[in-house]
Amino acid sequence: MNTLPTPDVACGSQHCITCGDVGDPRTVVAVDRDRELALCAGPDGTRSTIEIALVAPVVPGDVLLVHAGTAIARLEDQP
Amino acid sequence: MKFVDEFRDAELGRALAGEILSQVQPGRHYKLMEVCGGHTHSIYKYGVDDLLPANVELVHGPGCPVCVIPMGRVDDGIALAHRAGVIFTCFGDMMRVPGSNGSLLEAKAAGADIRMVYSPLDALRIAKQNPDREVVFFAIGFETTAPSTALTLKRARAEGVANFSCMCSHVTIVPPLRALLESPDLRLDGFIGPGHVSTVVGARPFEFIPADYGKPVVIAGFEPLDILQAVSMILRQLQEGRCEVENEYKRVVPYEGNLRALEVMAEVFELRPHFEWRGLGFISHSGLKLSEAYAELDAEQRFSVPGVRVADPKACQCGEVLKGVIKPWECKVFGTGCTPERPIGTCMVSSEGACAAYYNFGRFAREREVV
Repeated sequence: MNTLPTPDVACGSQHCITCGDVGDPRTVVAVDRDRELALCAGPDGTRSTIEIALVAPVVPGDVLLVHAGTAIARLEDQP
Repeated sequence: MKFVDEFRDAELGRALAGEILSQVQPGRHYKLMEVCGGHTHSIYKYGVDDLLPANVELVHGPGCPVCVIPMGRVDDGIALAHRAGVIFTCFGDMMRVPGSNGSLLEAKAAGADIRMVYSPLDALRIAKQNPDREVVFFAIGFETTAPSTALTLKRARAEGVANFSCMCSHVTIVPPLRALLESPDLRLDGFIGPGHVSTVVGARPFEFIPADYGKPVVIAGFEPLDILQAVSMILRQLQEGRCEVENEYKRVVPYEGNLRALEVMAEVFELRPHFEWRGLGFISHSGLKLSEAYAELDAEQRFSVPGVRVADPKACQCGEVLKGVIKPWECKVFGTGCTPERPIGTCMVSSEGACAAYYNFGRFAREREVV
């Protein structure tokens, strides 16, 4: 993301993960099946709550492609 | 990290660049459009265009959801944000998009309660934490983001969060592509298709491009090797006289898309008769609004929204940039009157915008070319 005048609107990386067609790989750490949410870790270890309704069921260790707080795909090896 | 590092391998990149060089015909100029702003960003960030032969030109398409939001829509958002008792939430890049009388960031500085969120779920959390306030989420984005908004609206209804609503500015990718293809001043040889939009909608919606317009499409991922591979696949189609939709991004994109995402979108949204795009004008059936079933969560119905229409600034050539008619640096105000710090047009606001991506990563390379 670009340099911004106030720190509270900076995404902390070079581009905004939410507004573009951007997906981040995140690894599932724990799953709350009832609420269809998962605790996931990013490459730098940062943890966040992710909506998993579109890819459920998932298990810890799965790598998900996350966009705007929602997992839109499960990453799989190329056939 | 797995799925990332192997797609940034320099040796493989050089090999692919060599393959591309062997595929082009001398004397022929190839013009390929990357539809998605995420691709534009990656191309400049990793210098992908420097690896391509001089006669392969990448043109930047309309695939940045921030860049296409018209000024009047920003003004509508600001009007909502200034209402007493409202907490207005939106994604970060949206805050800097200029309306006719300033941006959301300036409205925040003037006292409006505007908060940046990373996901619609964050906006819902703010609503639950502030039951005495009305929390509006300004939803933008293509089909990649729309399911996230849809799931949050379903969750809001299921959990009875009555003070949450959505100002829906989601757009769909196919109508603007068709509008571009109908544009008489556009000359393209093929398309690098949007990777993550396709994760949701699949590859099938792009079949009209080869069928009706005779142009190859290769859906691609966002790592540098993905983009180089996609360029090579398009060139191979042209070389072999083929014209079809191919999927380079099979590790993420199923041909049919994500059926659950499509179902939830169909439940929560319906197409607007038309929607205004910055630089492209009104395009039929290109925007989403909340369906009748979710009308009580529609901020535009809950509050009176002015519905402002504002012409783009005269100096701004975002429209031509979005159509790929001119390169960012060919705009009259690029890097002078319009910079990421003080943007005139939205292509300079979002980091996925062609102008900002070029300004941030490409201007020095271009200066070298000029020398």
